[in-house]
Amino acid sequence: MGSFIQYTLQGLASGGFYALAALGLAVIFGVLGVVNFSHGSMYMLGAVGTVVALDEFGLSFWASLIVVPLVLFVFGVLLERGLVRWLLKLDPLYNFLLTFGVTLVIVDLVKRRYGSSGMPYDTPAGLRGQIALGGLELPTYQVFAALLSVLVCVAVWVILVKTRVGMIVRAATEEPDRSRALGVNVAMWVTPVFGFGIALAGLAGVLAAPTRSVTADMGTNFIIILFAVVVIGGLGSIFGAVAAGFIVGLVEAFGQAYAPAYAQVLIFVLMAGVLLVKPTGLFGSGEHS
Amino acid sequence: MPETTLSEQLPAGQTGTPVLEVSDLSAWYGEAQALRNVSLEVRVGEVVTLVGRNGAGKSTTLRSVMGLHRHISGNIRLDGQDITSRTAERRARAGIGWVPDDRGIYASLTVMENLTLPPVVDRDAAWSLERIFEHFPVLHTRRNFPGTKLSGGEQQMLAMARPLRMGAKMLLVDEASEGLAPVIVTQIGDIIREIKKSGVSVLLVEQNVNFASTVADRHYLLAEGEVVESLGNDEFQSRLEELLHHLGM
Amino acid sequence: MFKSSLKIVLGTTVAVSLAACGGAGGPGGGSEKISDGKLVLGVLNDQSGPYKDLSGPNSVEAVKMAVEDWKAAHKDDAVTTDIEVITADFSTKPDVANTKAQEMYDRENADIILDVPNSAAALAVATQAKNKKRVYINVGGGTSALTGASCNKYTFHWAYDTYMLANGAAKSVTDSGGKTWSIVYPDYEFGQASDKLYTGAVEAAGGKVIAHIPTPFPNENFATFITKAQQGNPDVIASMHGGGDLANFFKQYQQSGGDKSTKVVGGVVFLSDIKSIGAEPLKGMQFTDSWYWNMDKEARAWADRFQEKVGTRPTAINAGNYSAAYQYLEAVQEAGTDKSDDVVAKLEGKKINDIFLRNGEIRAQDHRVIHDVYLAEVKDPKDIKEDEDFEKIVTTIPAANAFRPLDQSECSM
Repeated sequence: MGSFIQYTLQGLASGGFYALAALGLAVIFGVLGVVNFSHGSMYMLGAVGTVVALDEFGLSFWASLIVVPLVLFVFGVLLERGLVRWLLKLDPLYNFLLTFGVTLVIVDLVKRRYGSSGMPYDTPAGLRGQIALGGLELPTYQVFAALLSVLVCVAVWVILVKTRVGMIVRAATEEPDRSRALGVNVAMWVTPVFGFGIALAGLAGVLAAPTRSVTADMGTNFIIILFAVVVIGGLGSIFGAVAAGFIVGLVEAFGQAYAPAYAQVLIFVLMAGVLLVKPTGLFGSGEHS
Repeated sequence: MPETTLSEQLPAGQTGTPVLEVSDLSAWYGEAQALRNVSLEVRVGEVVTLVGRNGAGKSTTLRSVMGLHRHISGNIRLDGQDITSRTAERRARAGIGWVPDDRGIYASLTVMENLTLPPVVDRDAAWSLERIFEHFPVLHTRRNFPGTKLSGGEQQMLAMARPLRMGAKMLLVDEASEGLAPVIVTQIGDIIREIKKSGVSVLLVEQNVNFASTVADRHYLLAEGEVVESLGNDEFQSRLEELLHHLGM
Repeated sequence: MFKSSLKIVLGTTVAVSLAACGGAGGPGGGSEKISDGKLVLGVLNDQSGPYKDLSGPNSVEAVKMAVEDWKAAHKDDAVTTDIEVITADFSTKPDVANTKAQEMYDRENADIILDVPNSAAALAVATQAKNKKRVYINVGGGTSALTGASCNKYTFHWAYDTYMLANGAAKSVTDSGGKTWSIVYPDYEFGQASDKLYTGAVEAAGGKVIAHIPTPFPNENFATFITKAQQGNPDVIASMHGGGDLANFFKQYQQSGGDKSTKVVGGVVFLSDIKSIGAEPLKGMQFTDSWYWNMDKEARAWADRFQEKVGTRPTAINAGNYSAAYQYLEAVQEAGTDKSDDVVAKLEGKKINDIFLRNGEIRAQDHRVIHDVYLAEVKDPKDIKEDEDFEKIVTTIPAANAFRPLDQSECSM
């Protein structure tokens, strides 16, 4: 039972990274119709940015939690204004290829500047050690990372449900064309939403810095799992992305615990299974056509 | 049928100012031409239907007017202003209300959110929520339901109420009666008459000619992307049998 | 839009995940006197990928240093002073290494190829060396097959190998009281081999391995594996991971409270790894090292010169490349020619002490270069007084005990 709870927490913690990043991917896809391949590199930039913020500017982890996503928001805005925007009218494949290219450039620039092996980053002082919960010793950082990502997902959910912006994002996600025909100014929200999605990936990266190897390549594997997450959750479903993020985290953790040889394959088996039974994903409606 | 001008076709008494004027509208899907020189006109407070077989170009006409189909030539005017080059969003803001054939209700938005999502484009013309709920009491009772939990008829009412709240002056309604029970169709008819009374014009695509004849002032008969006849409602009613035959119904 | 986007995402996911499953491998793995009048030393390694900091451009610099130092030592009597160092990047791909080695030997007339820090790539280059009858000295690759089943007349193995890594730490740590072990290893050829080697060494020293825990490769999240490794309270938890996986493992191990009473051992650890992970998560970890820049005066003196040149401290592989290049030039000098057979004859059986090798000997029988190696421990950050001084040498393992004994070797040349 003890290890069951541990595995659950571990699944939630790594699922939190997926959920945050997938949430960003989902809102970008929803509002812009862009499958952002560069999302993995934004996650990497979040983590590398956290290390650089400490090494070069003396910014603590806590400050990085705020500052790094903000910087990435601005970066996302520039990326959208400078590049992505010009291809929005074309087949989505063009922007997919564009963001793929952006990924290659970003990863190589980071390699040039910071090398290809890892960059050290210690667990912040207040989050070291373990905390006792009901007779169990749980790693403080894991508990923190899991709680924070759940919290941020809930906060984003509240924004989506309670605010006018959120309403517009939800509407545009469902059917951007129709929203335009109803006079909703979707265009106004395209840039900030793109920046926001990038910032979420960055936040996942900040959270990963103390617990994952920080390298220029860390986003490469991550984006593959992330794509599996959005396919499982339903491309274009915001709720689906978050739910599937945590589901994939749990599948990974329990897979590693009880069937380690199949742990990585399990995620893709799950993806294939979902596609067979419900091609639009667990929570997708497939109304995009 | 020889070409005749619209004014010659108009029944007596229908001489208001035109809200929507479409002239020589042609539309293409890739290489295939879907519309050929369609010209039509809707006047203030008028209900006009487009009837025709499947694939005659009714929905394409509507989508072209809305700005959702952009591969077109010709000219579209709203209140005398050329809106041909405007985006769908700007046309909506100019007062064109869109009621799509799938009703276009947002599944992830509540009824209330569905109503309030589009901006109010004309404060004077916009229906207040009170007025909407007075005419569509069911929307009030269900205001906190997700859009897709509504029945087909309720969704249709919501889809029609939405542009009214925006203050649209020209409603484009695609297949209002499709797939609805007769009692609901009657209700929808009442609502269209109510809308007409408030001075809003309606361009209605309709398969159901019986229903069309109960709500509309005039009709355009489309075949293979062309307007083949333009009829007042009296003539339309008197030739109903013949038209039904023509439409293959 | 939904459908085409879904296709894009699916297609990419499948394609990239297949690609990700493919590449596995870690550092484990004639004429007159002088032909064309000049000597060509080819350094073939990873100039841009995961092993760049382990060896990479800095090893090229080290080889150039060796050439300069050698020329300075043989001012007038040098058999040639026309020595060129060429380099190529094999991007951690064995097939690329194979082609590049061929090009170096055939087109660029390399007399020797150095380094190749990847087992599969190293074996491919060894085959080329054998076919072309040119010298190859492996430094950065780990596989003990180079001097075992796959040995050949022209291939030498300089710094370390998987047998020595396992044998050194496993024996020393078990001897000092670590009787029960959990071994966590990446589930591919290199990791499985390391697990076997460690298990053998632990058991030979009287210890017991209570859990073998394979993990996916590569892997981000080790939390569940750490929980498993801790079950049964072993004296020692050993991780056979390299590079990014090593960082992931130890960062998460430390967060899960692993720094209490259990000793931790790293299977394949280099200075570059400690630099990239930081000392904090690794403090107290023990591992076998073939050389450390601050282990004695001679090493230190060379490391200072190296740092002046490239701005960082040398890894054992950098130093090993220096040593290999220098000793190759010495052998050419002694042979008076760059003919491979003559040079090999001079190298075989040679006893060497230089900045890298202590009590070194090039075994003639299998071309394994044996030398003293060390059980090293990562310092607590608060004990680190100097930049990059991460390691403390716990014990020296004498050359005779460090490497695979000849009677266990499968090599026949």
